[in-house]
This record gives sequence, C-alpha cells and structure tokens, in this order.
Amino acid sequence: MSAREFEAFLARIYLDASARAAFKANPQGEALRAGLSKEECAALREMDWVSLEMAARSFANKRRSKPLRSRPRTFISRARQVATVLWHRIRSGG
Amino acid sequence: MAGAVVEEGAAVVAGAECMNGSTFADKVGLGWRPDLAAGILSHLERIDLLEIIADDFFSAPQRHVRALQTLSSQVPVALHGVSLGLASSVSVETKRLDKMARLVDQVRPQFWSEHLAFVRGGGAEIGHLAAPPRTADTVEGAVENLSRAAALIGSNPVMENIATLIDPPGSTLYEVVWISRILAGAECDLLLDLHNVYANGINHGYDPVAFLRHLPAARIKAIHIAGGKFISAPDGRPRLLDDHLHDVPDPVFVLLEEAAALTPNPLTVILERDGAYPSMDCLLAQIEQARQALTRGRARLVAQEVPA
Repeated sequence: MSAREFEAFLARIYLDASARAAFKANPQGEALRAGLSKEECAALREMDWVSLEMAARSFANKRRSKPLRSRPRTFISRARQVATVLWHRIRSGG
Repeated sequence: MAGAVVEEGAAVVAGAECMNGSTFADKVGLGWRPDLAAGILSHLERIDLLEIIADDFFSAPQRHVRALQTLSSQVPVALHGVSLGLASSVSVETKRLDKMARLVDQVRPQFWSEHLAFVRGGGAEIGHLAAPPRTADTVEGAVENLSRAAALIGSNPVMENIATLIDPPGSTLYEVVWISRILAGAECDLLLDLHNVYANGINHGYDPVAFLRHLPAARIKAIHIAGGKFISAPDGRPRLLDDHLHDVPDPVFVLLEEAAALTPNPLTVILERDGAYPSMDCLLAQIEQARQALTRGRARLVAQEVPA
C-alpha cells in the first residue's frame, strides 16, 4: 500500500473519463495494475461516483477557464486605464 | 532565504470598537482581479487589503512584478498560491517553492497563503485544488511540505481549507481533525474559507457551525468569503458548487459572525470573486456586510469574556 500511488490513481480518475470507466468495469484489475491494496480498491468502489463525475466536470471547467485568469498583460493595461481615469478626474476637479 | 513578510500594523485597520473599548485589528479586503482594477483603485479607502494570486506572477515579466510592487506600496497585500499542492504525501518540488520565495521577497506581503489540497499525482496535473485522502500519511506529507516551504520562503504559509464535491476515498480522519493535525504539526495558521465550510457542510451533511467550533480557534488568522451555486445531480441531491461567481449568501455572513465570536486573533477577511462581476457598489456592500458581521461577532466575544 502506498499513499503516493493512491494519490496518483486519484489524480488519474479525476482527470480521465476513460480511467474512470476502466475502473468501474474492472475494479480489481485496475487497482492491481496501479499497485493499490485491496482496502484502497474497496474505498474507491464505495466512493460517491455521482459526486466524482460532477467534480471531474468542475475540474475540467477550471482547466479550460485558467488561461483567462492568468493574463499578466491585462494587469498593466488595466493599470494604465485606471491612471487615465484618475488623471481625468483630477483635472476635472472631481 | 527570502524571509520578507511584513509585520502587521502599518495597514489600515478596520476597527471593530467593542463594548469594553478595546479594538480588534480586523481588516476586510478583496481579491485583486484585473477586471476589478479600476473599481478597486478608486475605492481604496474602503478596502483594507488586496489578495493577489501569486501564480499569475511566477512567470510574468519583471515590469509586471514592478507594477505589483507599486500596488503593494499603496495598499497592504497578501499573496495567495494555488498550485503548490502542499497537502500531499508527495514532496513539493523545490523549483515551485523557489518561485513563491522570489515573489514573497519582491512584494513583501502581509502574509502568504496556500491550500490544503493536492493538485497533481503520478505526473498528471489535475489543474485545480483536489482533496487528498484524509489520512495520517497525508498529514505527515503536508507537515513535511509546509516545513520545507517555511524554511525556503522564510515564513509559514497560512493554509486554506478547500471545498470538495467528493468525500475523498480512503480517508480515515474527519476533515476537521485532519486540518487541525496539519496546522498543529506545521505550526501554521488557518485561512478559513467559510463558503468552503458551508458548501462541504451541505454536500457532505455536517453542521458548519459545529465544524467551526471544533477548529483550533487560536490558529484562525484569515477568512475567505465567496458565493457559489447549487447544481443538480443525477441522483436528485443538489450539490453546492464553490464557483466564486455569485454574491456571498447570508449563511456565510452568519458563519463569519461565529468565527469572529470564536477567535480573539485579528482577522483579515477577503472577499473572493472570480467572474460574473457585479458593480463595485455591490462588492463594497458585501465588504460592509462583512464588517458588520465581524462587529457582531466581536461584541459576542467580548460579552463572553467580560461577564456583566
């Protein structure tokens, strides 16, 4: 039994629909192939698979939206925009 | 070593005057998002602190970091990491810690924070915060990772509880016990995300207030508030998704009052919003609601400490 291998397997089923399907079709075989123990295999079988599918969808959405979040260039352009707004406000005495 | 976290005290204090005349040095701030920049910079007198997503600057050109330094000279900032994956039995890579260390050194935030989550395993990047199995192994791994992070970066991170739709399989510890053991082992403070507590309470069937009361109150240093939405599920049991795209719901303000009534520490409360941005007035109104919840909680705390 290895916590590291269990985490790796979890990461795979969080990410990959085919890995989830393979485990559901053949839990013991997939667990054995991943080096998991009987207890870990049982824990995976007993987990809430509806929640797992929902979480997997949520992770996929996050991965898709991430590039939108990391736009350092926007930081500079927004700062320039703000400086312009403030400058006009100061000039107009507002 | 980059030990560069600024001592608190220079910041604007959102004082919650209490019945005995004492003042809690609580602050209420907002997560910095480029889309909110104009609104934030024109209302700095109502925002005590800004929380910056550290990862957005790890590979950014130097001029962007200089812009961040300029911002941090005008308003206190906290750095918030999202990709270290410290709550794992796998050791965090030094190169990832180095990036955080460099940024902390350059920006000198009030504090830096990360999540009690794992984000990768076996070479696969999950791309978001996932709950690891809550076991003695992940407690040990997290404590080791946090100790390495603190040694390299020069200060302990403040660690955030995460929202999870899945009750992580293979867990042998209750969430609150798992969190408490990591915080105690690594001597870290808690960034208590109240919407995550609220969402997990709904999704996994526990009482969020009881959860708060079982946390080590003395370790609560910062608080996140946010909003999410209910999503339907094939099994007919709706789940609450912590998407940060909605206003803070009333139960989260109730939890904020509870947290303020539990801990005597100065609290830094940060409103998180990641999209579907409302007007700045709407965000400022939520900041004001947070201040009011803090004031109510502080009054309760003082009343408990000073019997009539």
